[in-house]
Amino acid sequence: MLNAFHSPQSVALIGATSEIGHSILKALPHGNLEKCFVVARDPKRAAKSLAEILPNRTELTKVSFHAEKTQSHKIIVDRLFAQGDLDIAIIAIGVLGNNPDLDEAANALEVMNVNYVASAHLLLLIAERMKLQGHGQIEIISSFAQTRPRVDNFVYGSSKAGLDFLARGLNDELEGTGVSICILRPGFVRTRMTRFMPEAPFTVNSDAVGVLAVKLLKSGESVGYAPTILKWVALIFTLLPTNIFRKISNRK
Amino acid sequence: MENIESTGWGRTLRSNSFELEPHSLEELQDYVGTHESPRGVIAHGLRRSYGDSSLNIGGISVNTAFLSDITFQPETHLVTAGAGVSISTLERASLARRLFPPVVPGTGFVSIGGAIAADIHGKSHHTTGSFSSCVKRIRLLYADGEIHDLFPEGPSADHFWATVGGLGLTGMIIEADLQLIQMQEASVQVEETRVNNLEEMLTLLSASDRNFQHTVAWIDLSGDFRGRGVVGKGNYVTQALAPKATSRVNIKESASLPFPNIGGISFINKYTVRAFNEMWFRKPLTKGISSIDSFMHPLDRIQNWNRIYGRRGFIQYQFVVPEGNEDFLAHVLATMKELGAASFLGVLKRFGEGSPAPLSFPKPGWTLALDIPPHLGNLEPALNSLDSQLCAREGRIYLVKDARLKPEFVPIMYPRLEEWRVIRNNMDPCGMWQSDQSRRLKLC
Repeated sequence: MLNAFHSPQSVALIGATSEIGHSILKALPHGNLEKCFVVARDPKRAAKSLAEILPNRTELTKVSFHAEKTQSHKIIVDRLFAQGDLDIAIIAIGVLGNNPDLDEAANALEVMNVNYVASAHLLLLIAERMKLQGHGQIEIISSFAQTRPRVDNFVYGSSKAGLDFLARGLNDELEGTGVSICILRPGFVRTRMTRFMPEAPFTVNSDAVGVLAVKLLKSGESVGYAPTILKWVALIFTLLPTNIFRKISNRK
Repeated sequence: MENIESTGWGRTLRSNSFELEPHSLEELQDYVGTHESPRGVIAHGLRRSYGDSSLNIGGISVNTAFLSDITFQPETHLVTAGAGVSISTLERASLARRLFPPVVPGTGFVSIGGAIAADIHGKSHHTTGSFSSCVKRIRLLYADGEIHDLFPEGPSADHFWATVGGLGLTGMIIEADLQLIQMQEASVQVEETRVNNLEEMLTLLSASDRNFQHTVAWIDLSGDFRGRGVVGKGNYVTQALAPKATSRVNIKESASLPFPNIGGISFINKYTVRAFNEMWFRKPLTKGISSIDSFMHPLDRIQNWNRIYGRRGFIQYQFVVPEGNEDFLAHVLATMKELGAASFLGVLKRFGEGSPAPLSFPKPGWTLALDIPPHLGNLEPALNSLDSQLCAREGRIYLVKDARLKPEFVPIMYPRLEEWRVIRNNMDPCGMWQSDQSRRLKLC
C-alpha cells in the first residue's frame, strides 16, 4: 500500500536494466519500500545495481523475462501479484532499433514487438490485475518522438505512439477503479543506448527524467514530459506546417 | 453496490471501495455470512480516522449510518447507542436528560463504533481514562454473520478488549451500552493560562491535572518553536457554580461555518501559520463559564476544516511518550523547526492510566499531536527517525491518526500485538475484516 508520502511498499521494474527505470526507482521515496521485482533479461545484473540504490531492507525478487516472448507475460505478471498487492509497476522496456546488423524491416519488427506489442501486452495484463486489487499505478516510458513522425526515428516514434495511444485509452477506461496510468514522454536522454548519437536540443540526464517521472506519479496527472518544456515544443511541433516541420526536424 | 472514492480525514490517502449501505441488521448479517472476497470488509462511520483505518481499497465498506438508535435506561444512567450514532448526537440526547458521556474527543463527529474501535480519548483522560472506561457492553457482528454481546469481564472479555482499539478488525460493532455521568449544567468552568515555553507548559499541565477534570494545551508550533502556548483547564459546572442556571440545560447544536471547497488550494504556509498562531496566543483568555460544546469540540465550529490543507492533505503525527522523556518533546519541536514544519494545530496532554485493551493507544505519559503538510522535504525520514526513538523510549504512535508508520515499528510500539492477533484470528479465522491500514501495517 502507498503511504501518505506516496511511498510504495511494492514496486515492479519491468525492463530492469533500463537506466531511466533505475533513475525512477532512485527518485521514488524509499521509506516504505519492502519489495521490488526486478524483471529483466538479466535480472541478476539488474538486481546488483539496484541493490546499490535501494535500502537494505528492500527485498529484491529477480524475474527472468524476454519481452518478445509474449506467451510468457501472463506467468510473469502472475508472479508480481502472487505475494500480495503491487503498488507501482514501471514498464521501461524499449529498443531504439539502430542495430546496423539488422536489415530495415527486421529492425522495425523488433522495435515494434518490444516497444509496442510487448509493452502494451504487459500494460493490459498488469492493469487487469490491479483492477482486482482496487489500486495501483503503472508508469510507461513513452517518448517525445511519438509527437509527430520524423525521418530519423519514425519507426521508433510509431511504436511509442501506439503504446501512448493505448495507454491513454486504457487510462480513461480505468477511471474510477483506483488504477491509473502515467505516461512519461522523455526527449533525448543521455544513456548507454544513446551514447553514440548526436544530442538533440533539451537533452537531459537519466536522473532528471527519474525525478520528473516520480513527480508525475505523485501528481495524479496522466501525461508528463521530461524536460517539462517539451510539452510546449510538442505543441509547436503539432501545429507546424509539414514543409517547415520536415526542414527543422530532419537531423540526418 | 457503488464503487466510490473515499479518503481519511487527513486526505492524503484515497481509496476506491464498494459501499454497502444496508437498511437492516438482517440484511447486513445475510451479506456478511455469505460474503467471500479476498479484499474483505470494513465498517466505517463518519470517517474521522486520519489515515486508512476506515478505508478498504478494492473491498467492501459498510456504512454504519443505519445503526442510529439511542435508548436510555434512566435508573442506571446507561444508554444503548447504535454504532452509527455520532458523539455529538449522543451528547445532545444525553444532555436533555442531564447526562453526559464521561469521555468525548476533540470533535463530536466521531461515531460510537469508531470511538470504541479506536478507544478514543479526550481532555479528561487523566481522570476518566479512555472511551472504553464507559463501555459496559459491545454487540458485535462476527465474520460468520452471528451476533454476540461482549462484556469487559467474564468469558467474553478477551473478545471485548480485542475489539476496543481493534480498528474494526475483530468484527463490526452494532451497538454499545455506555455508562453516562450525571450533569447539573451543560457547561464547563474554564480557565485558560498563557505559558511561554515547553517547561512551563508541562509543569502547569501536571499541576492542573490534580484540580481539573479536563486539561489540554494548545502549543505554538511556529516561530522559534520553544513551546509557548495556552493551557486550558475545565471542570463541569455544578449548580453551586452557576447561580443563573436555568431549569433546562442548553442542548442546541453550536453553529458551525462550512469551510469552502476552493479547488484544493492550501492555505497553510509558514506565514499564515505564524500569523494565526500569534493571534491565537494573544487572544483574550477565557476565564469563566463556557458551553460544553465549545469547550469540548472547538474545531467543530468550522466544518471540513481539513480542506484548509488543500488537495495534498495533511499528516497528523500523534504519539505518546512515558513521563521522564520530556526531552523527547523538546526534540520533536526542534525537529519540526528544522524541517520548517509550522503547524497551527499542536495539542499536548498528559495521559493517565491506559485501558486493558492490547491495541489501545493511551498510556501514562505525554501525548503530542501535530498537523503537518506531507510535502515538506525530508519529512518522511525525519518522522521515521522520531518513530525509531519513540520505540527506544517505549512510546507509540496513535494508529487511528496514522498514514505513514513503518510496519516493523508496530510490534515494538504495541508489544501486545501478537496477543491481540491470536484473539483476532480466533474471532475471524478467514480474515474477513480488513482495511488498507491492516494491510499496510500487517496487523492481521
